[in-house]
Amino acid sequence: MLFFILKRCLLSVLTILGVVTVTFLLMRVAGDPAALLLPPEAGAEDLARLRVALGLDLPLHVQFFSFLGHALLGDFGDSLREHLPALPLVIARVPATLELALSAFLVGITLAFVCGLVIRLVGSTMLRTVIMWFALVRQAMPVFSFGILAILIFSVWLRWLPSLGRGGIQHLILPAFTLGTYELALYLRLFNLSLSAEQRQDYVRTAYAKGQSRAVVILRHMLPNALLPLVTVAGINLGLMLGGAVVTETVFSWPGVGRLIVDAVSQRDFPVVIAGVFVVSLIFVLINLAVDILYGFLDPRVKLG
Amino acid sequence: MKRFRTGSGLTAAVLLGMVFILIVLVPLLPSYDPYAQDLGGGLVPIGDSSFEGHFYWLGTDTLGRDLLSRLSLAGRVSFLIALAAVSISLVIGAALGLVAGFFGGWTESAIMGIADLQLSIPRILLLIAVTAVVGPNVILLSVLIGLTSWVSYGRIARAMVLSLKRREFVLSAITQGAGAGWNIRKHLLPNVLPQLLVVASHEFGQVIVLEASLSYLGLGVQPPLPSWGLMVAEGQSYLALAPALSVLPSIGLFLLVAGLQFLSQAYTAESDVMDDVSKATP
Repeated sequence: MLFFILKRCLLSVLTILGVVTVTFLLMRVAGDPAALLLPPEAGAEDLARLRVALGLDLPLHVQFFSFLGHALLGDFGDSLREHLPALPLVIARVPATLELALSAFLVGITLAFVCGLVIRLVGSTMLRTVIMWFALVRQAMPVFSFGILAILIFSVWLRWLPSLGRGGIQHLILPAFTLGTYELALYLRLFNLSLSAEQRQDYVRTAYAKGQSRAVVILRHMLPNALLPLVTVAGINLGLMLGGAVVTETVFSWPGVGRLIVDAVSQRDFPVVIAGVFVVSLIFVLINLAVDILYGFLDPRVKLG
Repeated sequence: MKRFRTGSGLTAAVLLGMVFILIVLVPLLPSYDPYAQDLGGGLVPIGDSSFEGHFYWLGTDTLGRDLLSRLSLAGRVSFLIALAAVSISLVIGAALGLVAGFFGGWTESAIMGIADLQLSIPRILLLIAVTAVVGPNVILLSVLIGLTSWVSYGRIARAMVLSLKRREFVLSAITQGAGAGWNIRKHLLPNVLPQLLVVASHEFGQVIVLEASLSYLGLGVQPPLPSWGLMVAEGQSYLALAPALSVLPSIGLFLLVAGLQFLSQAYTAESDVMDDVSKATP
């Protein structure tokens, strides 16, 4: 177990290093940040002075190692626009992103859980087909399309919910549903499959033979076994929610890391982009690590793989 | 043919047929012109005429451009980008997967390590970072999406080769002195390809969504070229005034993505669904 955990931790560290390296290379290949900072009428001399001040005149590998050294200490340089350290700017946005991703995660998993159980308890193929089709239709809409439709219906026409920004619970409802229902079809199919796989097991037949009711067999015997795959995939997707959150945040003007990155990209504010990508990847990798280790505890067979 | 009599196959045919009409037949209309601006006829509602009497089937955008024509062109732009991206990732994924599976050893570890690394960053984040750098450009966009989407093909190709290379027809070719290149081309690729094409039909929808999302964020297709994602973003500011600007391209996206989804479901419905779930986490 310890070896398994150590191996996964090492892989995670390598991943983060890979992410930072790729992002750094990309950003430096991008072009000259100094040229963007100065007004157009600035001369070549001003440009050269600023490049020296920012360390952009050094060879690429020197820049990289100095960057990496600073990054390890949490120093990603100052935002080129705000003239504040980049990392705190990003970290200030993390709670908003986590709030969105976690609520979306809860919405998705709760809906899948309830729908899957209802399908199984009612036991009608008709109902299953209808619910699955709804989930598939939802999945065929990109996050931003669904978000805009939701804004149109609930904010513009019905005026029930606000369309922009972050505030109380009513600000959270639309973004969380938009992001949370995207993977619903996947969860539902998975949950349904594992429930139907359990249904063919001998212990289920035994339970029925003992005369237990359908609801008891499903809830007490099948459910705990069928839940594991759902929790795992949902756990992995909790990380992917961060990717989806980037788009969702833009649709709803949600002040999270995703929106910060997108804004920073359009302003070519490289330190903020790098710090943002670093932070999101870090959260992503940590979530996956936690899910893997948790799964290793729940199902010891995993370690052999 | 039995599989296409299922509900999913029929639904797919209807949805994709509508997309076909939009992106292939609409340009044949005499009124087709995605760029012409009608300065007196901005934001004409659906099925109405401008003050000067020009009739527009789906109305016009803020600059008075015919929405039907723009939707059609945007559809073709998205479709071609996705086609290019999927082809690129299919070729890369098949090549790397076949090589990894056939040679094994450190080659396999290296290739699969890169795959794992790539999966450990959300794809859209990687693409945002890259497009931010190289600048938005249609050709680069397809290449980049292609480069970042090979992993599912690679994994499937590798997994299949691992079992195929122990089969007699491959072993006999090896004992008769056939080289790696011959084996991969003549024996493994033809056996792996059909499965990869099924994956491609599923990936196609995902790539469409990816391109649309990037364009929505302003990092993909750039104006005046339309793309469904970009049109949704452009229309968002006029949501209360002219919802059609955002809703119509969303419908286009929906028809295409849902059609592809039902198509791949019609294919996998009869095979074992369990193996589909393992690759469901991108």
